[in-house]
Amino acid sequence: MVYKIKKKTLSFQDTIFNLQKYWSKKGCVILQPYDLEVGAGTFHPATTLRSLGPKPWKTAYVQPSRRPTDGRYGDNPNRLQHYYQFQVLIKPSPKEIKKMYLNSLSSIGINHEEHDIRFVEDDWESPTLGAAGLGWEVWCDGMEVTQFTYFQQMAGVECKPVSVEITYGLERLCMFIQNKKSVFDLIWNDEGITYKDVFHKSEKEFSAYNFEYANTDNLFKIFEMLEEETKLLVEKKISLPAYDQCLKCSHVFNILDARGVISVAQRAEYIARIRELTKSIGKVWIESQS
Amino acid sequence: MSELFVELFSEEIPAKLQINARNELKKNIKNFFIENQIKFNENFNVYSTPNRLVLYVDKIPNEIKLNSEEIRGPNVNAPEKALEGFIRSNNTRLEKIFKKSTEKGEFYFFKKESRKIKVSDLLEKNLSEILTKITWNKSMKWANYDLYWGRPLKSILAIFNKKPLNFVFNHINSSNKTFTDKSLEEGLKIFNDFNSYIKFFKQKGILIDQDLRKKIIQNKINEIIIKKNLKIEQNERLIDEIVNIVEKPAVIICDFDKKFLNVPSEILITTMQSHQKYLPTFDKKNNLTNNFFVVADIKDTKGFVKLGNERVIEARLSDAEFFWEKNKTQNLVKQVDKLKNINYFKGLGSYFDKIQRMRKLSSLISDDFLISKDKIEIASSICKVDLMSDLVGEFPELQGIVGGHFAKFQGFDKEVCLAVSEQYLPNGMESKLPKKMYSVALSLSDKLDSLVGFFGINLKPTSSKDPYAIRRMAISLVRLIVENEIKIKLKDLIVYNCSAYRDQGYDFDTKKIQNELSDFINERFKNYLKEKKIRQDIIESTTFLLGLDDLLKAYKKSLCLNKNIKKEIGFETIAVYKRSSNILNTEEKISIETLGFADPGLFKNDYEKKLYKKINDIRKYFLSIGKDENYEESLKILSSIKNEVNDFFDNVIVNDEDIIIKKNRLELLNMLCKTFDNYFNFSKIET
Repeated sequence: MVYKIKKKTLSFQDTIFNLQKYWSKKGCVILQPYDLEVGAGTFHPATTLRSLGPKPWKTAYVQPSRRPTDGRYGDNPNRLQHYYQFQVLIKPSPKEIKKMYLNSLSSIGINHEEHDIRFVEDDWESPTLGAAGLGWEVWCDGMEVTQFTYFQQMAGVECKPVSVEITYGLERLCMFIQNKKSVFDLIWNDEGITYKDVFHKSEKEFSAYNFEYANTDNLFKIFEMLEEETKLLVEKKISLPAYDQCLKCSHVFNILDARGVISVAQRAEYIARIRELTKSIGKVWIESQS
Repeated sequence: MSELFVELFSEEIPAKLQINARNELKKNIKNFFIENQIKFNENFNVYSTPNRLVLYVDKIPNEIKLNSEEIRGPNVNAPEKALEGFIRSNNTRLEKIFKKSTEKGEFYFFKKESRKIKVSDLLEKNLSEILTKITWNKSMKWANYDLYWGRPLKSILAIFNKKPLNFVFNHINSSNKTFTDKSLEEGLKIFNDFNSYIKFFKQKGILIDQDLRKKIIQNKINEIIIKKNLKIEQNERLIDEIVNIVEKPAVIICDFDKKFLNVPSEILITTMQSHQKYLPTFDKKNNLTNNFFVVADIKDTKGFVKLGNERVIEARLSDAEFFWEKNKTQNLVKQVDKLKNINYFKGLGSYFDKIQRMRKLSSLISDDFLISKDKIEIASSICKVDLMSDLVGEFPELQGIVGGHFAKFQGFDKEVCLAVSEQYLPNGMESKLPKKMYSVALSLSDKLDSLVGFFGINLKPTSSKDPYAIRRMAISLVRLIVENEIKIKLKDLIVYNCSAYRDQGYDFDTKKIQNELSDFINERFKNYLKEKKIRQDIIESTTFLLGLDDLLKAYKKSLCLNKNIKKEIGFETIAVYKRSSNILNTEEKISIETLGFADPGLFKNDYEKKLYKKINDIRKYFLSIGKDENYEESLKILSSIKNEVNDFFDNVIVNDEDIIIKKNRLELLNMLCKTFDNYFNFSKIET
């Protein structure tokens, strides 16, 4: 076996390295994180846009993900407003994908013959992306470590062929591997640097920003500006820059949501607006593919 | 005799879809055998694990004989072409064709000889279609294929009479092989019969038969709880789900830190059950304990599974505890104002608006219920605050219950806390029913306000769609009233609630809402009676006489009559009524205007007098006890007139020559029927 279960604890960064190496060997294009604030790895254009249209595509990458409402000022051992996902997207979904996935777990020291690995029904939907899929959350001894989804729809368009998306929650996974109760106790590298050393201050400050200091008047204005810009770029038929603006809209909305200034009714309206943007971008993208 | 054995191997199919697919496959295969007149063992079963859907039917003949039959062709006068076509389509020659007269004229006929068909051929031809007919509540596509299935289908094993059946189902060719390793989808192995298949997997600890899995899980759990002096709640739905998400169940007893038992038990139970599919345990006094069951799908040889699950529950309970500690101290009263920011429903305002209306409604109800107006107003005001808490955000199914705990912690009156906790109950026909009057009042005003609101903005359910579960709301309302034996003027409450909406600026048509909602609730009430196994004619007659304001009375009368209708007392009462009303019905055609009372001065004999006196006695009885509260007793009183009525009919001719006397006798019978009608509309009862 190439990936021997080592006696020493697999660090956070080694976990990433191993997954990258593993999926690289499976023919995936290893990308770097997208350089905008996004809520999940799915939002990376290498997933959203590339899952549309007929062309085959395989990729894997780490994506820092931001969920402002989940911030807890670094006080909660399980919740972060900024965390990492390891994302794999393969189109069309390969026949042996389950085997590939289980072997990827072995590459980071989780042997499926020793642990209770379960594929638990979890159908996924992203209202802002106009996306939906069927699949599972994967449990390892009761802990959810991965989302496993067959995309059925993206940007309001039916997927043909169907892509499979595998999203590892890296912190959860490492807490499992390293046997830690708090995310902040995770070992980042072999020099003893911890997750706390790297991110605790950031969690504290961003929570304060998201919940207290973000200038909501400005953000409402910025949202409008970005929305307008997206529409303009869609008219110009340049889908990738249009999508960037749309992602920014989405993040601004998330901060406004965290600040608690969006009512329930408004919330639905904003989500619908972002979805409309995504749909129009998806259309332009598909046209450019054929 | 042969066996049919099919295995459909796929990625993990969710429990509900699996159960549904089993039933569908069973139904479809049964229909196939019946349609083709093939004998089969009707006690066959369909089995499943998350990855394997398995069909096994035995006692099937290898061949079926099709009897010879005469097939009618075209009319003898039809063009030549038609005959040629007929010969071709039956694969025969002209010599075999004969003419025969029928009622419709003379036709060509062909006699098809009796012949034998191999069942395996029929199966190969039809299996693909049988599988296509499986309908999924939710299905998906994958890769480049066009097939819809619960989850990606990987292979099909199909055997008949120990030989493989060859057919193509979309992109998949059937074979006699399957993957023995479901995880890596490896270890292809040939199976030629069901028994060796079952045996092979059993040796690996894998149980294909879901009922067997259920038994084993339950036995193991029972063994442990007896030893540990524990109890578990019977939760069929959870058990059935667990049974269908494992193939080799291993029951593991785990525990969590006892400190979490300070968090309200509903929160702990929900975390365990709905989030993790664990089974919580209780001690003999029904208190939750810190032991819980995990049903794993692997033998926990190294103890990893137990450890992992305990860590997961620890993290989840820490989260819940954190929110509980944070939320419980947040002052409920001070937060009421914030409900203005929370939309109740588009077109029906915020939750703040809703609780204002509920407060008015419940305070009106409190007069009827003889409960404290202050207390029910407090309960109404704070009852929705928990919707803003982190805990309800995490555990939406615990809305109300969590609010009740907050209220208790903050020292609210016991009855107020309980009312908040039970405000959403009952939720439909089967759900638990609140019994305490404060709870009933709060739940009643919540539901009625919602019903009025939805009817006000015209979101009534249609025959096929009821997205806001309005029917369930109405049936819950009916249960609250009937099962708690509450006398309440629902119509007035509807009008009052409409005015509360109007005060808030809603343009509601009170008359329209009142009519439509009354009809709607009445329909639900009829359904409710039907569920309670009340005879349809009894339902019709009670609901005909008694409206929305008399639900309780209607219920009790229906129950009473339903119980007695086959007994002597019920039978006789109806007979007396029918005998009288039949005469009235025929005579009414001659158009006699009734006055409503008979003139005793016109009586010619004692029978009339006695009957008259008896009717008046009965009327007095009904008046004296403030109408008829004791329905059994009333029925008895009604039936007691039997002798007077029979004597009357045996000795008196209604149809007297003197029209005045005849009319007077009809008046007497009319009085009798009217008296009976007061109790019940017997005319609709079938005998």
